[in-house]
Amino acid sequence: MEWTGLFFYLVSFLIASGIYAILCLALNIQWGMGGLFNAGIAGFFAVGAYASAIMTTAPSDKHLGGFGMPVPVGLVAAAVLAGLAGWAVAKICVRLKSDYLAMASIGIAEILRLVIVNAERVTNGSLGIAGIPRPFDGWVQGRAADLLFLGFVWVIVAAAYVVSQRLHDSPWGRTLRAIRDNEAAARAAGKDVERFRLQTFVIGCAIMGVAGGLTAHEFKFLSPAATEPLMVTFLVWVMLMAGGSGNNKGAIAGGLGIWAIWSMTEILTNQLLPPEWITRSSYIRILLIGLLLQFVLQKFRSGLIPEASPPIRFKGD
Amino acid sequence: MKKSLIALAAAALLGSTTLAFADDTKVGILMDITGPIASFIPPLQNAANLAITQVNAQGGLLDGKAVAVYGDTTGSAQGSVDAVGKLVNIENVPIIMGALMSGTTISAAEAVSIPAGVVQISPTATSPAITGIKDNDLLFRVVPSDNYQGEVLAKMVLAEGLKKVAVTYVNNDYGVGIGRTFIDAYKKLGGEVAVEVKHEEKKNSYRSELAALAKGGAEALVVVAYAGDSGGTIVKQAIEGGLFTRFIGTDGLRDEALIKQVGADALKTSFFSSPTSPADNPAQKTLHDEFNAAYKDGADKAFVDQTYDATFMALLAIEKAGSADRTKMAAALRAIGSGKGEKIGPGEWAKAKQLIKDGKDITYTGAGGAYVFDAAGDVTGYIGKFVVDGDKYKQTAVMQ
Repeated sequence: MEWTGLFFYLVSFLIASGIYAILCLALNIQWGMGGLFNAGIAGFFAVGAYASAIMTTAPSDKHLGGFGMPVPVGLVAAAVLAGLAGWAVAKICVRLKSDYLAMASIGIAEILRLVIVNAERVTNGSLGIAGIPRPFDGWVQGRAADLLFLGFVWVIVAAAYVVSQRLHDSPWGRTLRAIRDNEAAARAAGKDVERFRLQTFVIGCAIMGVAGGLTAHEFKFLSPAATEPLMVTFLVWVMLMAGGSGNNKGAIAGGLGIWAIWSMTEILTNQLLPPEWITRSSYIRILLIGLLLQFVLQKFRSGLIPEASPPIRFKGD
Repeated sequence: MKKSLIALAAAALLGSTTLAFADDTKVGILMDITGPIASFIPPLQNAANLAITQVNAQGGLLDGKAVAVYGDTTGSAQGSVDAVGKLVNIENVPIIMGALMSGTTISAAEAVSIPAGVVQISPTATSPAITGIKDNDLLFRVVPSDNYQGEVLAKMVLAEGLKKVAVTYVNNDYGVGIGRTFIDAYKKLGGEVAVEVKHEEKKNSYRSELAALAKGGAEALVVVAYAGDSGGTIVKQAIEGGLFTRFIGTDGLRDEALIKQVGADALKTSFFSSPTSPADNPAQKTLHDEFNAAYKDGADKAFVDQTYDATFMALLAIEKAGSADRTKMAAALRAIGSGKGEKIGPGEWAKAKQLIKDGKDITYTGAGGAYVFDAAGDVTGYIGKFVVDGDKYKQTAVMQ
């Protein structure tokens, strides 16, 4: 094995897990802090991905636009559109109790995905959008571009972390936890529960949209194959649960840890199994992933880094 | 958790040095092993392994043996980028055979192979989008683009004297790709499309779609869909309803399952297009005999020919380049896919190795025909016309 190879593997690993970390942070705002069971992550992710792709690609007759905008503009559009989609969904569904919200959001996410596959004038349907740029595309080529993109992704991870942490420590975050833990008491204390939930849902969806946009720029090609609920919705839930629901550091740790299991098990099965097993190794790997996830979820019931109450600050502190 | 991660990484590091000997050359094989097309994969893995086994039995690759390293895309873009990243960076392969689906192939190439300068050769990715990718001459395929099958099918239909047809295609990259090109080419050549209906997969009833299709007074129904899914259901329900008697299908519909479902009599006047080998290709028989000798059966399964050919060409490219140097792979692959020089067929590794050693030009003529790459790394290939003959299909013409 070459060390440069290992280094670039680490780079691509950190890009992918960084995007997952952003998704986990977004879900942590919705579920960890707000107690909103959003099982439709893939839908908002897809809205963001297509928004950013359409904004930043060169003009094409195959899909809407492209508008040739810089990548940051695309990501802002991703956040706005995914947030808007979240707002519309929340307006209808946010009053539902957690399990009902889960069912409703799965349905809505599938509707969003089907709309995207069928709105061919806008998204080029199942044939997908090609030629999506990365930030700093003109400056560097080849593998070095991955390094810059890695930096770009983790700047956004850091920004999402700071935002979530501020939200978590603020009175707004405390209100959310009050609503999550005892809705009746929060209502009795005069809090507008619906409004808080709506805000939580919209903020979370907007961040999910940004993660979708980053994925489009990472792959440089976007088709419905990138928005599979297994890889986007369910894996993110596992990551947050394993990392520590309610804790932002835990959300990032979950993204890194679970993606490490997902990705590195293949190296393991490829290297350690005898050659005669070669046609079975992929299935053994999937089995191994399942076992490891079971282990993590059983061993760390409240996550790798469990939720901790924020410090209470007084005026003048 | 941290401990187990470190253990994982350490095991991987150790493992990579124990398995392959210094002179062995790894070949990356990227397949959608788990995921939506899992049922297609086992014979294709056998096809790739057959190529590797033959090479190792006939003198090996370069100065050592060929070792296949598999990557599993899990059928998703995320998994594909991850898997190809491991092949390129950890396993350090000089060339990659795969992936199979168009979506996973393009994502892997755009995000990893092209920036890293690694050649990728897909046996089955048919999306027209692959032609237009700026790939620095790194992305190849041995199967014609859907555009090509659509155009040839249009010619075939007109040659049958059918001037007015109804068209329905499944709403995925396969159906939309072929369906659209067919309609454009057919209209351009003077045909009339009475009705065009796009349909979703996995429904139990397509009667409302069929009702719309039957309205335009078309002479036949063109179905671009899979027999095991919507295609079979549509043909069956069209016959039951007495709406159409003549069907024109693509390779997805040309499946023995369709004959079982509706009976050979109902398909008497129907015909099908499918990528094929040139008529009476002895190379195809050679491969199928060797395949069935090694794995009992399965040689006639979909895309076995193309997968074997792509793997064998990847191996030939390494031998031709004379080393596992990534930068030489594209030129070497073009050299063996140029149509010039001594012809090499499936399994003729020893002969090829000797010719390369003597400095002679070789060109590979595989089970799926000769592959001559154009500027975009595409091949034109052959499209066959098939009709039903008993409980099987019979090839009646080949168009190029």
